[in-house]
Amino acid sequence: METTKLQLLKDKANRAMGINPSDALISKTYMFIAFAALLLGGILGLTQGLEKAGLITLPEWLTYYQVLTAHGFLLVIVLTAFFTIGYFYAGLSHTLGGLLPKVRTMAWIGFSLKIIGFPLVVVPVLLNDATVLYTFYPPMAASPWFYIGLVFIVLGVWMCAFGAFVQVASWRKRNKGQHVPILAFFATGVFVLLFFGSIGVTIEVLTIIPWAFGWTDTINVMVSRTLFWSFAHTLVNIWYLTAASAWYVIVPKVIGGRRFSDVLTRFVIIALVITNIPGGFHHQIIDPGISLAIKFMHVFMSLVISVPSMMTAYAMFSVFERRGRELGGRGLIGWFKRMPWGDVRFLAPFIAMAAFIPGGAGGIVQSTNQLNQVVHNTMWVVGHFHLTVGTTVMLTFFGISYWLIPYISKRVLTPKINKLGVITTIIWTVGMALMSISMHTVGLLGAPRRTSYTTYGDSATAASWDPYIIVLAIGGTLLMIGVILQAYAVFHLMFRAPKGETEFPIADVEENASETPYWTERWGRTIFLMLLLIAMAYVIPLVDMIVNAPPGSPPFRTW
Amino acid sequence: MKQAAYGFALFVFLALPPVARFLESVMIMHMHMQMPLLVIAGYMMARYFQLWFPGFLAKWNGNGIPGIVLFSIVVMYWNLPRAMDESLELAGSELFKFVSLTFLAGLPLRDSWQKVGYACRSTVFIGYMAISVALGLLYTIAPVQLCNNYLLIEQITLGWGFLTTAICMAVYVVYRLMIRHSEYE
Ligand code: HEM
Ligand SMILES: [Cu+2]
Repeated sequence: METTKLQLLKDKANRAMGINPSDALISKTYMFIAFAALLLGGILGLTQGLEKAGLITLPEWLTYYQVLTAHGFLLVIVLTAFFTIGYFYAGLSHTLGGLLPKVRTMAWIGFSLKIIGFPLVVVPVLLNDATVLYTFYPPMAASPWFYIGLVFIVLGVWMCAFGAFVQVASWRKRNKGQHVPILAFFATGVFVLLFFGSIGVTIEVLTIIPWAFGWTDTINVMVSRTLFWSFAHTLVNIWYLTAASAWYVIVPKVIGGRRFSDVLTRFVIIALVITNIPGGFHHQIIDPGISLAIKFMHVFMSLVISVPSMMTAYAMFSVFERRGRELGGRGLIGWFKRMPWGDVRFLAPFIAMAAFIPGGAGGIVQSTNQLNQVVHNTMWVVGHFHLTVGTTVMLTFFGISYWLIPYISKRVLTPKINKLGVITTIIWTVGMALMSISMHTVGLLGAPRRTSYTTYGDSATAASWDPYIIVLAIGGTLLMIGVILQAYAVFHLMFRAPKGETEFPIADVEENASETPYWTERWGRTIFLMLLLIAMAYVIPLVDMIVNAPPGSPPFRTW
Repeated sequence: MKQAAYGFALFVFLALPPVARFLESVMIMHMHMQMPLLVIAGYMMARYFQLWFPGFLAKWNGNGIPGIVLFSIVVMYWNLPRAMDESLELAGSELFKFVSLTFLAGLPLRDSWQKVGYACRSTVFIGYMAISVALGLLYTIAPVQLCNNYLLIEQITLGWGFLTTAICMAVYVVYRLMIRHSEYE
C-alpha cells in the first residue's frame, strides 16, 4: 500500500517536473547521434544521386559503392536504431516513473558497445576494405574487423533491449495486475523483436568472421542470406512498429482526441511480434535453392502482416474522423478540413501514413512471385524503400522530434520552428515524390539498382533512362535541403530554443472503452508462439540448404 | 458450444482428401501439423462431450489420470515411424489415425488437463519434451531411411523440427521457473 502511494506521488512529480536529467541525457545523446547520421547519410545520398546522373565525378579515393555502403549503413542501421532507443527510453522514463539506476547503466553500457563497434565498421569502409554494401552478403568479403564491429553494435542494442525488459518487469512487480502503459507496451514489443530478430544475423556474422580471416575456406551463401533477411525484414517491422506507436498513442493527443481501442492496439502489437520474423523470405523470392512450396508459404506469411496494417489504417482514420466531427466538421469530408494542418507534430506523421498506402501496395507487388521477377534488383526497389522507410518512417520520426527533443531538453517548440518544420515536411514530401516516382518508373524500364553512372557502351535503352535519373537528382537535391533544415531544427530545439516545459503527449483511451483482457500481458506465451512460428518457417528450408549444401564459396573481393 | 463446432469444422477440413494428401506429402507437415491439428480439433470438441456426457466422464475420468494415460499412449503410438508409415499404406490405419488422435487424445486431454494437478501436468510437459529430444536425435542421426514413404532429407528435417520444438518447450519451462506470475498479477 505504502509503496503504491509513494509510486503515485513519484509519478505525479514526474509528470509535473518533466523528465529527470539523467534519463534525459540518455535520450538526448541517442537523438543527437541519430540526426547526425541523418545529416551525414543525406550528404552521401545526394552525392550518389548526382554521380548516378552523371552530373559529378567522384574523386579517385572515393568510389560510388563506398558511398552507397555508408549511406545505407548510416541511415538504416545507425539512424533508426539510435532513434528507436532514444525515443522508447524517453517513453519508458515518462510512463513508468523514471528509469531505474541499473537500467540507466545498461543503456550507457549499450551505448559504449555501439561506440566501440562504430570505428571498427567505419574505418574499413573508408579504407575501401569493406565495400560490401549494408547487406554485406557473402561471397563478398570485407575486412574481418568490419564484422567484429557489427557484433559490438548488436551487443550494444541487446543491452538496451535487456534494460527495457528490466524496467518493464520492475514496474509490473510494483503495479501488480495492471496493464503496462501503452507506450511501454509498444517498447516491449519492439525490443522483443529487436532481440530475437537479431539472433539470426549474429549467427551469420559469427560464421563470416572466421571465413573473412581465412580460418575457414568456404561459406554457405544461401544460409547467410537467409539468416540476414530474417533480421533485416524484422528490422523493417521494428521501424513500422515504432512509427505506429506514435500514430496510435501520440498523434491522437496532438489533435486533441482520444486513442483508438486499447484492446485492438495491443492485439496489433502482439500479432506483429508473433508473425513477423518468418516474413524474411520475401526478400529471397529470386534466390535459387528454395523450393516453390516454401516460397509460397512465406508469401502467405508476408501478406499476413498486411492485416494489422489495414487495421491500423482503419483505426487512424476513425480517430481523425471522430475528432474532426467533435470540432464541428460536417459531411463526408468536412471533418478532414478540421485537422490541425499547420502543426508539424500532426502534419508530418499524417503524410507519413498517407505515404504508407502506395508504399504498402508496392510491398504487396514485390511479395508476388511473378511481379517480383520484373522489379527485383531494379531501381523500383530503391523507390519502394525510400517511400516506406525514407518517407513513412522518417516523417513520423521528424514529427516526433518536434516535441520529444524539446521535452528532453526542457525547452519549447516555438511557432517559428513549427513553421520551419511544416516547410521541411513539404520539401521532404515533394522531394521524395519526385525521387521515388522516378525511381519506380525507371526501375520498371529496367534500370538496375546499386550501379554507378554508366552509359552501358552508349546503349539506346540505357540512354532512355537518363531523364528519370535527372528527376531523381532534382528530388535528391530537395531532400538535401530538407535534411539540413531538419538537422538544424533538431540542433536548435536541443541547444537554443527558449527554456520551458514541453508535454509528452499521450492520448487517453476513449470513454466507456471495454476492459482489455489480461492475457495481453503474458509475454512468455507470446514469445513461445513466436518461436514456434519461426521454427515452423525456418526448419524445412534451413535443413535443406545445409544438408544439400553446395561446396560453398571462398571469399571474393569484387571491388 | 461454438468452439466445439469450430473443432468439428477443423476435423472435417483436415479429413478432406486433398487437404489430407497435401499435409501427408511432407513428413514434417504430417507429423507436426496434421497430427497436432487433429489433437486440437478433439480438444475443441471436448466441450460438447463434457456437456452431454458428464456422467460418463465423471465415472471414468474422475481424477483425470485415465484420460492423461490414454492421451499419452495414443500420442506415443503415433510417434512411432512405423505407425506413420502405415497410415499412408492402409486405409484402416489412416482412419484410426483420425479417430484416435481426435477422440482418444485431444478429447481426453481437455477433460483431464483441468482435473489433474500441477505435478501431473509438468510430467506430461517434460515427458513430451524428452520424447522430442529423443526422436529429434534419432531422426537427425539415423543414417538410414526409417519410413518407406519419406526420403532421408525429410527425416532429418523432421528431426530438427523435433529439436526446435524441444528448445521452444525448454525456453517455456525456464520462463515458468524464473518468472512467478504471482509477482506480477
Ligand atoms: C537526402 C536524401 C536521400 C537521397 C538523395 C538518397 C538517394 C539514394 C540513392 C541515389 C541511392 C542509390 C541507389 C542505387 O544505386 O541503388 C540510395 C540508396 C539507399 N538509400 Fe537513400 N537517399 C536519401 C535518403 C535516404 C533515407 C532517409 C533512407 C532511410 C532511412 C535511405 C535509405 C537508403 C538505402 C537503404 C539504400 C540502399 C543501399 C543499398 O542498396 O545498398 N535513403 N539512396
Ligand atoms: Cu521484408
